[in-house]
Amino acid sequence: MIRHVLRLLSLLLLACAALRAAAPVDILVQGAEKLEIHEILDALGPTAEKITIGPFSFWRGQIGPHSVAVSLTGQGLLNCTTATILGIEEFRPQLIVNQGTSGAQAPYLSLHDIIVGRRTLDYGAFITPVRAAGEGSHPLAWTPVAQQLRDSATGQLVAYPSGFAGDAEAIAVALRTRNPMGRVFPGVIGSAHEINLELDRVRWSNVTFGMDVEEMESGHIAALAHAYHIRYIAFRVVSDAPYEGIPFYAQAARATALFTVNFLHNLPTLERAAPSAP
Amino acid sequence: MRPRLLLACLIVASIARASSGPEPVDLLLVAADDATLQPILQRLDSPRVKTTAAWTLWLGRLSNKSVAVTRTEGDPLNAVAATTLALRQHPPRLVIVFGTSRAHDPALRSGDIVVSDAFCAFDGMISPVAPLDAGSDALTWRKLLHPVMTAGEDETPMETFPADASAAALALSLASPPQRIVSGILGSAPQINREADRIAFLHSEWKTSTEDGESAHVAGCAFLFRIPVIGLRVIDAAPASAAEFTLRFVDAWK
Repeated sequence: MIRHVLRLLSLLLLACAALRAAAPVDILVQGAEKLEIHEILDALGPTAEKITIGPFSFWRGQIGPHSVAVSLTGQGLLNCTTATILGIEEFRPQLIVNQGTSGAQAPYLSLHDIIVGRRTLDYGAFITPVRAAGEGSHPLAWTPVAQQLRDSATGQLVAYPSGFAGDAEAIAVALRTRNPMGRVFPGVIGSAHEINLELDRVRWSNVTFGMDVEEMESGHIAALAHAYHIRYIAFRVVSDAPYEGIPFYAQAARATALFTVNFLHNLPTLERAAPSAP
Repeated sequence: MRPRLLLACLIVASIARASSGPEPVDLLLVAADDATLQPILQRLDSPRVKTTAAWTLWLGRLSNKSVAVTRTEGDPLNAVAATTLALRQHPPRLVIVFGTSRAHDPALRSGDIVVSDAFCAFDGMISPVAPLDAGSDALTWRKLLHPVMTAGEDETPMETFPADASAAALALSLASPPQRIVSGILGSAPQINREADRIAFLHSEWKTSTEDGESAHVAGCAFLFRIPVIGLRVIDAAPASAAEFTLRFVDAWK
């Protein structure tokens, strides 16, 4: 037992000695699924460096004029929040690009259309009314609860009922970037660990939050970027459209990945801001 | 070298890539708000505070153990962010997530302490296809499990996250009648459920004993890095009572 503990300590010391602060990158590019980052990894080229932190993988390289770290976040709040904190702490990006697939929440959208997030939000938090046994459960009467973040300057909790605005300069570039497989619209992206196929609730999320698409990560990551004062933009391709009865089509991920590579080539070189206290 | 030992070394080393190097602690204590944390913070010896973006870590000693304390704000996003930062900067031997909760199990009474048998993030759902004007009925929704990233870039859907069995046994041994201490599944979601039918549905579908805003998400985050975790929840009680029991646990824990 003591021998094992000593071995553990020795290994930890060796590992800690090998720790190094990674060089910052310009942009952290994220996707939840392998299909969502495949084309982006290809664009990094054969010299990309893979870095593993806990169970999360990152690949560092260059796309266009930008140094980039690509992150496979995994699905949902748990994975994407952890991966984003690790990615920010490791790579200190100036801009985070979160992209992937989504379900349409508005009838004008079709498969392969891309929404550029002029804002993103978490729509999954709520408080229900009090109802006695036998009175059922009625989601359309639930009251949404906005994501809160503590303001490090004032120490106060601040609620963000509209979510978080995307970076204006990045949005402008994205809106003149080509989607090789569909159309491009500015819109609102909502995140929760939910797949909503009841059209009344789909309509409710569109009316209540202005949501154009729903998915599971971008609103959470927007909050983290806001907390760190990092520029942020999200892209979501429509991969399922309940108004049209189109089920989830995983290969739609290719559209947003190709769009993201085009966006990175179109985006002018980022000026690195002077370091500031978090 | 045992494979498990090597794996543990690699995981700890890989999450501890902070530029200033990791500063391990014995315990990480995690709770929602200042009211729950104050009794803990008041007893910290040699306290110091670190803030990263929106999240705060308090460091010090408690019952002769090195501890880090962090605040979740009572929601999953802040809970996972704060926990990830703490695990990266101060990898602990055990995570304790504690506080008050609401009962899903009708057998629970106000003031009961529920010790984690496991944790369940019950916020995932898939609704059935329904046309316009057919309404929305949460009692027809199916479970959507949380996929957990694992080494090799694969995700594993998990209905529950494990709790540390030896820590749970210790907590259960701290009963002081008439207060009841029971074992149960601690559920969390960014929800306050007050519809009796939905609470019964959640209890039936997910087997949850309680609900709060963060405990299963903290446990899921700890599971990502294979760090043991225990949850301690007091039903419908003042926040300080959860802290008092947690202090008893910390005193007894070796």
